[in-house]
Amino acid sequence: MHHSSLRKRVVAVFDRFKLSWIFTLLLLLKNTPAIFYPLWLLIVTDNSQHQSPNTLQDSSSEGEIRSKTWSANSVFVNLGSKRLSHGSRGGATDSEAFSMSHREINVEDARLVYVNDALKTNERFEFAGNSIRTAKYSVLSFLPRNLFEQFHRVAYIYFLIIAILNQLPQLAVFGRGASILPLSVVLLVTAVKDAYEDWRRHKSDRIENNRMSSVLVNDRFKQKKCKDIQVGEIIKFSADDTIPSDIVLLSTSDPTGVAYIQTINLDGESNLKTRYAKQETLSRTPEKDMINGIIKCEKPNRNIYGFHATMEIDGKHLSLGPSNIVLRGCVLKNTNWAIGVVVYAGRETKAMLNSSGAPSKRSRLETRMNREIILLSLFLVALCTAVSICAGVWLREHENELEFLQFYRKKDYSQPQVKNYNYSGLGVEVFFTFLMSVIVFQIMIPISLYISMELVRVGQAYFMIRDDKMYDEMSNSRFQCRALNINEDLGQIKYVFSDKTGTLTENKMEFKHASIFGVDYSGENIDSDGYFIQVNGHVWRPKMKVKVDKELLELSKIGNNSKDSKWIYDFFLSLAACNTIVPIVIDTSNPDEKLIDYQGESPDEQALVYAAAAYGFMLMERTSGHIVIDIQGERQRFNVLGMHEFDSDRKRMSVILGFPNGTVKVIVKGADTSMFTIIDKSVNSDVTRATETHLNSYSSIGLRTLVVGIRELSVPEFEHWQSAYETASTAVNGRVALLRKVAVNLETDLEIVGASAIEDRLQTGVPEAIESLRKADIKVWVLTGDKQETAISIGYSSRLLTSNMTQIVINCNTKMSCGKSLEDGLIMCTNLDVTPVALIIDGTSLVYILDSDLEEQLFQLASNCTVVLCCRVAPLQKAGIVALIKNRTDDMTLAIGDGANDVSMIQMADVGIGISGQEGRQAVMASDFAMGQFRFLVPLLLVHGHWNYQRMGYMILYNFYRNAVFVLVLFWYVLFTGFTLTTAITEWSSVLYSVLYTSVPTIVIAILDKDLSRRSLLAYPQLYGAGQRHESYNAKLFWLTIADTLWQSIVVFYVPLFAYWKTDIDGSSVGDLWTLAVVFLVNIHLAMDVVRWTWVSHASIWGSILVTCVCVVAIDVIPVLPGYWAIFELASKESFWICLLGIQIAAVVPRFGIKMYVQHCEPSDIQIAREAEKFGNLIEPTTQEIEMNSTRR
Amino acid sequence: MHSTFPLKLSYQPNHPQITNAGMNQEVTNGASKSKRNSKKPEYSRFTQQELPAWKPILTPGWVITSFLAIAMLFIPIGLVSLFASERVVEIVYRYDQDCVPEMYRGNVTSYIQNPLTNKTCIKNVTVPKKMAAPIFVYYQLDNFYQNHRRYVKSRSDKQLRNADDAFSTKGCEPEAKLSGNEPIVPCGLIAWSLFNDTYNLIMQKKSLDINKKGIAWKSDTKVKFGSNVFPKNFQSGSLIGGGKLNQSIPLSEQEDLIVWMRTAALPTFRKLYGRINRDLEAHETITVVLENNYNTYSFGGQKKLVLSTTSWIGGKNDFLGIAYLTVGGICLFMALNFILLYVFKPRPLGDPSYLSWNRNASRH
Repeated sequence: MHHSSLRKRVVAVFDRFKLSWIFTLLLLLKNTPAIFYPLWLLIVTDNSQHQSPNTLQDSSSEGEIRSKTWSANSVFVNLGSKRLSHGSRGGATDSEAFSMSHREINVEDARLVYVNDALKTNERFEFAGNSIRTAKYSVLSFLPRNLFEQFHRVAYIYFLIIAILNQLPQLAVFGRGASILPLSVVLLVTAVKDAYEDWRRHKSDRIENNRMSSVLVNDRFKQKKCKDIQVGEIIKFSADDTIPSDIVLLSTSDPTGVAYIQTINLDGESNLKTRYAKQETLSRTPEKDMINGIIKCEKPNRNIYGFHATMEIDGKHLSLGPSNIVLRGCVLKNTNWAIGVVVYAGRETKAMLNSSGAPSKRSRLETRMNREIILLSLFLVALCTAVSICAGVWLREHENELEFLQFYRKKDYSQPQVKNYNYSGLGVEVFFTFLMSVIVFQIMIPISLYISMELVRVGQAYFMIRDDKMYDEMSNSRFQCRALNINEDLGQIKYVFSDKTGTLTENKMEFKHASIFGVDYSGENIDSDGYFIQVNGHVWRPKMKVKVDKELLELSKIGNNSKDSKWIYDFFLSLAACNTIVPIVIDTSNPDEKLIDYQGESPDEQALVYAAAAYGFMLMERTSGHIVIDIQGERQRFNVLGMHEFDSDRKRMSVILGFPNGTVKVIVKGADTSMFTIIDKSVNSDVTRATETHLNSYSSIGLRTLVVGIRELSVPEFEHWQSAYETASTAVNGRVALLRKVAVNLETDLEIVGASAIEDRLQTGVPEAIESLRKADIKVWVLTGDKQETAISIGYSSRLLTSNMTQIVINCNTKMSCGKSLEDGLIMCTNLDVTPVALIIDGTSLVYILDSDLEEQLFQLASNCTVVLCCRVAPLQKAGIVALIKNRTDDMTLAIGDGANDVSMIQMADVGIGISGQEGRQAVMASDFAMGQFRFLVPLLLVHGHWNYQRMGYMILYNFYRNAVFVLVLFWYVLFTGFTLTTAITEWSSVLYSVLYTSVPTIVIAILDKDLSRRSLLAYPQLYGAGQRHESYNAKLFWLTIADTLWQSIVVFYVPLFAYWKTDIDGSSVGDLWTLAVVFLVNIHLAMDVVRWTWVSHASIWGSILVTCVCVVAIDVIPVLPGYWAIFELASKESFWICLLGIQIAAVVPRFGIKMYVQHCEPSDIQIAREAEKFGNLIEPTTQEIEMNSTRR
Repeated sequence: MHSTFPLKLSYQPNHPQITNAGMNQEVTNGASKSKRNSKKPEYSRFTQQELPAWKPILTPGWVITSFLAIAMLFIPIGLVSLFASERVVEIVYRYDQDCVPEMYRGNVTSYIQNPLTNKTCIKNVTVPKKMAAPIFVYYQLDNFYQNHRRYVKSRSDKQLRNADDAFSTKGCEPEAKLSGNEPIVPCGLIAWSLFNDTYNLIMQKKSLDINKKGIAWKSDTKVKFGSNVFPKNFQSGSLIGGGKLNQSIPLSEQEDLIVWMRTAALPTFRKLYGRINRDLEAHETITVVLENNYNTYSFGGQKKLVLSTTSWIGGKNDFLGIAYLTVGGICLFMALNFILLYVFKPRPLGDPSYLSWNRNASRH
């Protein structure tokens, strides 16, 4: 890619996604490597948006075959066609849509790989070897690198600067040890953790690097350690081998050059994928005849779904695409062996380039908090300025006395020449005082807060992961926290954007009804015994049982002799043949029984093939050239003469089948809209009409429909097609367009066979969950690729839509009409006022609305609606809709989805949640949190989100208070020491205050305290509003806290001051009093706010007080410290105890009084619910319903 | 098969592992997954955040009770403290101005700095009330920043403790060493500025004994100041800061120094000078013979002689008593207010009609 064009594109992207740009910058600050992933994604997605909006907008119509997987591609690279294709001819998945395929790869951008000539390939030493290194450090580099990385945190730098300042003799406020201790403890703990992790990585690296693989050396395959593999070498691997580097396939054990691979280590998808060797190379055996060629490919990049290269072999130019490359980490399956040439090795492999951590975001609360942090910094500067100005004035007033002043003594007379001692003029002294006061008051900026927050989030994540209410039995998956920074955002969500398939529904497709030649077979489905066949004395069964229609089952057994049953025969044959499913035979515990597992990328296709099998049309074998279908016990072989891939323009796929009797038929399967345009309506028009009626009734009950058509090809027709097909598939340029043209020419005048209806069942608990979310004042928007009818019916069944809602439907084809509809909608909304309104809008309309001046109107309309349903939307439009809300409001957005088509939306939203369901793991990979079921959203947001937010909000304020009160106590004292930075509190106590004395309860309470029980939170989803209204953390609370802090610090400081004025109290004693008083106070303050006292909270709060006492005593028994024995002398006097008690009470009384007053007169919802919880007058047992897995529809 | 990322804290190397995924997908007859593989979180009250807990809610009763309890506690303590403080008898006599002879009033500094001038000063004070033994004799300095940063740090606790550490004078500059590199013991500004006014009390022509033993903390005399450390080179520099020390008495017995070196917390402070172990009757006159040596004139400080009895609360200080009474009073007031509030504006606890959404609904 040209740099300039890249830059342009990046700029364009940034214009489109201003917010994400800011976000990206934030990321850059926080975590440099993580930036590249979303950035890259944005670039790619932007590509597709500009280049082929038409293809995209329909891409995920789920009624069609493989649509989901297809859109998966579109998100990443916008491949125009399927990866699986027919033989090596179609194998090149070079797509015109893929922007780079037409462009010649620039010489300077390309990497040249000389096949089987590693020496020449690597002569410039520019390519990485295959040894990998996930370990970050070596023994030597550990210290500098680890430190360097740790100091990426601004907090640590602040710590460090303060510590360095403190090392200067003029500024030394604390002793060396005391000033470095906190920082070094934090650094050490982190370093030990890093070192341990790195050691584990070293170990696994070693195992990985020493794995053996067989490499072609001097015309012979030899075993070689994995780390010694070089780019350009040819390697051979056999079934179940893990691929050691990124490899372009040359040949495989399959004569047509197919290799099946499993990419579970790469993207988590467990189904088999197919890769192809080029026809030109597949017949060669590298041991005998040399393969010499040059592969010119892209520079290493992270895109695991894209690869673009050309191979020059025997003077022929071949283009290579993603289907020709096998990536490191994949496992070869169902293929005896495969041979390939290494193009990327080691750290340059796509797998390694992708092995970076989870996305990182910054929580809303933290962003808000930063505002207050700035205020606190200003406050700190103000304190320091005040101190230094006062010091300046004092020095100036006493300027003449300083020389002899007993407690100052400016001059040093011990040397022959009398010099100033430690005094460098007024200005410098003032400046030093300023720096020193920064050192003394440093904890005004609560650096420990950042560390506490991280610990708290880890604790919260622990509880979320361990919550057994969020464990999914079906997929055996726990809740996952992938991003650790945004736990508290879960408590403030206002909008939920949800995908439909696989998120609201199970994405387990079940064949429900069939309409065959105008006859609707939608009678009662019964459990069948399951169809099975005998092969070599073994029983073969399909892996999944399907319920069958009894009548249809009987009819299907008749065979294709009678007129009626012919259509049934054709129908099931089509289902079994017209797909890309690969049957795989697996052994069971019973040696006589084998299972056929249909592997494929589309769950719809799987469902159809299983259905065909249940009716006696069992697909047994598929190679690139033929398929074997067992039809009612009779095995038949069909030649697959050609296949036209599914694409989103045609919205159908077709296969050209050579029948055993010599006839050739084209079978087409596709979405109704596309199919009815190519069906010959002149024949069987009544059948067409009947089928249409059936389709409407199917989709109105939420089923996904497909239409099947067939046509017999005459010999000239076939020959004409074949020559066109050959030409098209060997074309170097524009192959996809040519193939599409051939397909469109072929797919005409079809006879309608029938239509299938597949059910995608609603997940358990979805309606209840949506109900709860709505009660919690969270707006749920559903964004789906489905048809409008299907979407609406799912809307009803999930209780998203209710009968009392007014629906505004926007279905427009021009910008003008869109604008008109929006206006009408707005007028309707304002007129209706009270009744809830639902907006239903489709992807086509969104094309005209998003990114245009109509956006604002859409936003207006949408925010007036209770429910918004977007159907037939493309992945990028999903992100666009999220951005619509995110950019215009301050409200938090959450996107939840399971498929690759949801990735962009998940990344756009403030919080992205991936469902670890049927459809691979891209969504999970891109998400911040992952879970098994949609209904877990309820406990996640309403319970954990609420708790997280409350806890975090309180903790931040408490931390501000805790540190500020201590700083203010120090500050007041400075006013009585001639404005010098003396601290009565010992330096060790000053340092330990935020590290040891008060830190544990903060963290423990922030992890464990619960303002309300799970039961009440679920029973009253409205309680969630506290987070949406920012009730736990806002400017008002901040200022109240500061005012309280001021009062408390005054009490702590001035009570001893007045009590001990004109007495013989010494500095150390009063320092100990202040230390104890302030530590007791902040802990009592915390104790007053604790809601739930478990033994852990008791232990941490009272334990902290105890620890403080122990430390104060311990410091005072060190004879060389000035404060030796002070605490004992102090405690032996009654006045100490009187002071201590008085301070505590006087400091908390105002807070207590105000809190009680507010609690009584303006009780928050939480307060009332808490009382209700305690006195038990209103909790109804509604909670059970939500948690039960009872709803079967 | 899903790999979980436990918290994603520990990096999981992205290494390919041979997995048998696909094999452990659901089989038709629903062969149950082995328990071993289940990732279901094990139930414990801790992980489910259901630990038994005490959930106090402050009902009106509790609020009123706590305010009343504070009031009931604080008012008596306040009264007792105030009473104790009232019983303390204190004689404070500021002598720094009076003890400068008329002729030097114009130039106090030269008077005080001149070693040859006569510093003796005789004054009378009257006992206002009967004072019961022991009577503490303090000197009080005002405006003397014993807590000044330069000053506080200017000492070597090591040197004070151990004769072998005579040379550890770090931090003592500019009173660390003589020009010949001889260490000063005790070094530092604190020791150098030792207070050196002396008081002799005469009552009815008879000397009133001031017991100067045991005025320092036991811990200081026993541990902090070494019994084998003797003053050396002390006050032998060109600038004399204050009192001198007897070179033959170990530091652990130089109690005036020890008291002085417990630096005061606040700029106005008293230090114990000695005790009088007899009662003083009201209206008795005490003649104070004092040596006015210490220079507070150059910075406008004040010197006072204090004779004071003591009570359990300490010296004469009404602050704590008043503070306690105030807090107690406020709490009593708050308790009454809350009683009125609860009577006139009651709110049933946990009444759902107060929930915001119910309130909003009823408003419509």
